[in-house]
Amino acid sequence: MLSLLKRYRELLVVSTLLIYPFGAFLTQGGRGREPNVLDRALLALMAPVQRGLTAMVDGAVGALDAYVALRGVREENQALRQETTLLKAQLVESAELRSENERLRRALAYSERQQETEVLARVVGFNPVAGPHSVRIDRGESEGIREGMAVVTPDGVVGQVIRTTGGTADVALLTDPQTRAGVRVQRSRARATVAGAGASRPLRLDNALRTDDIVENDLLVTSGADGVFPAGLLVGKVTNLSRTEHGVFQVADILPVVDMTKLEEVMVITSMIIPEREPVPEPPPPPTVPVPTAVAPGAH
Amino acid sequence: MRLLFTLGLALLLLAVQSVALQALGISALRVDVTVILVAFLALRANRLEGAAGAFALGYLLDLVSGRPTGLFTFLAVGCFLLGQFASTLLDVRTPMSFVLFAAATDATHGLLAAFFTWLTSRNPAATSALPLLPWQVLLTALAAFALYPVLRRIDPGNDRREVGALR
Repeated sequence: MLSLLKRYRELLVVSTLLIYPFGAFLTQGGRGREPNVLDRALLALMAPVQRGLTAMVDGAVGALDAYVALRGVREENQALRQETTLLKAQLVESAELRSENERLRRALAYSERQQETEVLARVVGFNPVAGPHSVRIDRGESEGIREGMAVVTPDGVVGQVIRTTGGTADVALLTDPQTRAGVRVQRSRARATVAGAGASRPLRLDNALRTDDIVENDLLVTSGADGVFPAGLLVGKVTNLSRTEHGVFQVADILPVVDMTKLEEVMVITSMIIPEREPVPEPPPPPTVPVPTAVAPGAH
Repeated sequence: MRLLFTLGLALLLLAVQSVALQALGISALRVDVTVILVAFLALRANRLEGAAGAFALGYLLDLVSGRPTGLFTFLAVGCFLLGQFASTLLDVRTPMSFVLFAAATDATHGLLAAFFTWLTSRNPAATSALPLLPWQVLLTALAAFALYPVLRRIDPGNDRREVGALR
């Protein structure tokens, strides 16, 4: 037996090295395993290199910018850019609020506005593997970041945390084929799902009923129904809408509002606090208007 | 020792790539640095050592993908074995022939990755990386050319200057 093992040792070892990961792949599907001790150690080893390189690149780009552009112009440009971002966010928010207000006024109900706590993080690297679309950020478990949390920028939705270790986390981008988000059309409130379609491709509109009111250039915001993304965050704009004569759904491409190739800082929503609903005041009793008593005809 | 050096180099190259592609504004493209190392192992290492090295390189690639499923580990060992078989038919002893060999290994790796991802998910988006594959192979070939002098330091092998083709 031992001699047989010795004889076929190479074949056995090589077969195991080939079959074991294939078996793991078939059984795990596309989910991926939880990071073990070795994974964490290797990622921890890689993180300082990525941070250092990012800082180096930032420094080099900053130095080059400062050299090329006039300092005052650069600062002004930066301030204007920040202001534009802020105004853009406010515009989206106000459109969303206006729409929400109208609905609420119609329904005579009280709003259930969500409040979030966020952690600001720096993108330190893109996933160097073709296929899955994810980025690594420099905040992790130690900052309260957990798998499944939503990641956003002031412009809109970025993605979802898929793995965390001590000081870093991986975020699957909205463009990743495995990412989904529940959305609403900002104008008509029609519900649908947005799915990633891979590299350099627009997002895909899924589960949008053919009868739903969706037109080209409609803005999509998160619906909050998926339990991951808070409601009202901008996702993208509808393009290439096609509605066939038959069938249940209409399809469209969605241009994401966030440029995933130029991510620098992102915010991880670590908790979504839904404030307790204020007690709905009892409706005032209807005014007592003296009802004229019916007078029997001919009572005069 | 040689294996450890290869793994350390892979870890460093993956970290550099994850930052460099973003900085260069080509984050949609990838360079398969680990596939270059697998191709090198296929040419220079014996079967047992090479398979173990390819397994470790694939494990690293799986790890940095964000969703370690085991696919890249399997593909790395598979590509190593295919590469080793191909090396018995081909004479890869010049820098240029190594670049072509690494490019062919990368193309095989990319196609197999898309196929197996599609097979298990049945999601048409699984093949979304295929249109970018030629660019990826080209970038990987350029990286192989740049890395060849470093790799030759790890294992000089029996390099020669003349262009070789079939044995």
